[in-house]
Amino acid sequence: MDLYLHLIAQGLAIGVLTGILYVLIALGLTLIYGILHIVNFAHGEIYMLGAMGVFYVYVVLKWPFAATLVVILVLSLLLGLVVERAFFRSLRGQWLQLVVASVGLSLIIQSLGWIAFGIQEKNVPSFFTGIVSFGGVRLPTERLIAAGVGAVLVVLLYLLVYRTKVGLAMRAIEEDEETARMLGINADRVAALACAVGFALAALAGAFVAPIYSLNPGMGGEAILMSFLIIIVGGLGSITGTVLAGLLVGVVQSVGAVLLGAEAAYGLVFVMMIVVLVVRPAGLLGRA
Amino acid sequence: MKRGLLGLLIAALVALPPLGEPYVLHVAIVVLIHVVYAEALYVIMRMGYLSFGHAGYIALGGYASALLATKLAISPWLGFLAGGLVAGLFAWALGAVTLKLRGIYFSLSVFAFAEVVNAVFRAFEFFGGPAGIAAVPRPSLFGTRLNTHLQFYYVVLAVALVSLFFLYRLQWTRFGFTLLALRTPATETLAESIGINAARYKTFAFIASCFFCGVMGAVHVHYLRFVSPFVFTFFLSTDLMVYVMVGGLGSYWGPLLGTVLLTGLGEQLFAAGYYKSFVYALVLLVVILALPGGLISLPRLFRRGGRDERTLPTAAEASAARER
Repeated sequence: MDLYLHLIAQGLAIGVLTGILYVLIALGLTLIYGILHIVNFAHGEIYMLGAMGVFYVYVVLKWPFAATLVVILVLSLLLGLVVERAFFRSLRGQWLQLVVASVGLSLIIQSLGWIAFGIQEKNVPSFFTGIVSFGGVRLPTERLIAAGVGAVLVVLLYLLVYRTKVGLAMRAIEEDEETARMLGINADRVAALACAVGFALAALAGAFVAPIYSLNPGMGGEAILMSFLIIIVGGLGSITGTVLAGLLVGVVQSVGAVLLGAEAAYGLVFVMMIVVLVVRPAGLLGRA
Repeated sequence: MKRGLLGLLIAALVALPPLGEPYVLHVAIVVLIHVVYAEALYVIMRMGYLSFGHAGYIALGGYASALLATKLAISPWLGFLAGGLVAGLFAWALGAVTLKLRGIYFSLSVFAFAEVVNAVFRAFEFFGGPAGIAAVPRPSLFGTRLNTHLQFYYVVLAVALVSLFFLYRLQWTRFGFTLLALRTPATETLAESIGINAARYKTFAFIASCFFCGVMGAVHVHYLRFVSPFVFTFFLSTDLMVYVMVGGLGSYWGPLLGTVLLTGLGEQLFAAGYYKSFVYALVLLVVILALPGGLISLPRLFRRGGRDERTLPTAAEASAARER
């Protein structure tokens, strides 16, 4: 029995740490959904590219870790700007085409990934080794640091959206785009920025999980699945909702995996989503 | 004229196959199966909803029939029906919850559902685990097992023609017209104001769509003689969406054209999966950006001298407004 409790405590802790990384990916989706009203299916592939970036720049080219992060950050921001300009802007307002285009983009990046990176799983050595122990709950330092950096990024995003002028413009567009445009907000530029920041969040999340998982071009699939479940549970477009739901999903999945096994834990998270949809259709903190 | 052409086509589909090589028959079977999937998906897309998880319902149908045949030795003919019913039942359950909400909730939930279905099939030994179910028998007719390509081709053709006819006729019923009215939020409100229960109509449409996917999924599995969690994946769901979008949302013949062209030619040209998926996605993006009406809008485009002036909005255009 004691062992059982201990396992649950361990699962809880791992769940929170995983949850923060989920939050990072899902926040990018939330941001893009809030401004552009699209659910970006290519998000998982950006996450994959971030992880692959660490492998190729840090492991193969042997650049320092900080430089690797800067490269990934700059490239993902640029990619966000390009994708917004090339696809999302010309399709604005056409919901169906936008979502389908993002699916097309996701397929293109993933299939190119398989062709370019090969099917061989890639492993990145840990940036930090060691285990930290809190009253019997043991956590790898690496995960703690990844979650810590993730938490800092979440706070930075909060500050960007709620404390800066650009953030104000974002929220204005989300609330009423037409009025925002009339008040002189350059909605196209704000949308491009939101897209770039969203991509960067996904790529950085990918970079931090690189040493934790084996990497392959299909790894975005699981990330995008969890992110979708999270943004539905949290409420589409709600940043606080996404953070709450991300942690919740992380914990449910991780404790569920301890008690029922990994595959059944997916089912558990899905059941949670259905319960939320029935009880609170707009999500925990979403507006109907 | 149109009717005559259609008759000729069906006559050719019935009469020509005995002349074909097994490989040609294989391609014909694959194309027919996918045409039904795509037309079933079109029922949903025509009312402005996207499904990223139809593969999940196809898998449900396939697994249901495979389990019945291998564990209980129930005839595949009944299995086909059971596959459709199981898929329809799950569609009802998810549709009842999500189709009351905005379209995106539906799309994401269906996507998640399909992933979870595959995860469950992988997890439990009862469903065969990651290896799936092998030795799924072919159906028999008058004491003969339909083991050759030619024999099974006629099974597929029969199921496909019945399904396609039903899905075609569905458009021109009161039910089909009502679905069309639900395409935009404005007309949906209008429809509801005269007492139409929009959520119920949408749920029924989703059930019908998944029923035919389930039936064809069962046929598909009995054709392959095995099923595993890796047969009906997210890539099938997106392929189907590509067929419909490339063919065009404007008419019933769009998805059919898209499927025949892309599966018929695609299977031959790109044996390697990743190249195929790359080319499909590229074609998809080009069509979305340059030819929003899909291939089916090409003749009309030429007739009008370059500019497409439809009087009725296409489903795609109409659904554009849905999310706002």
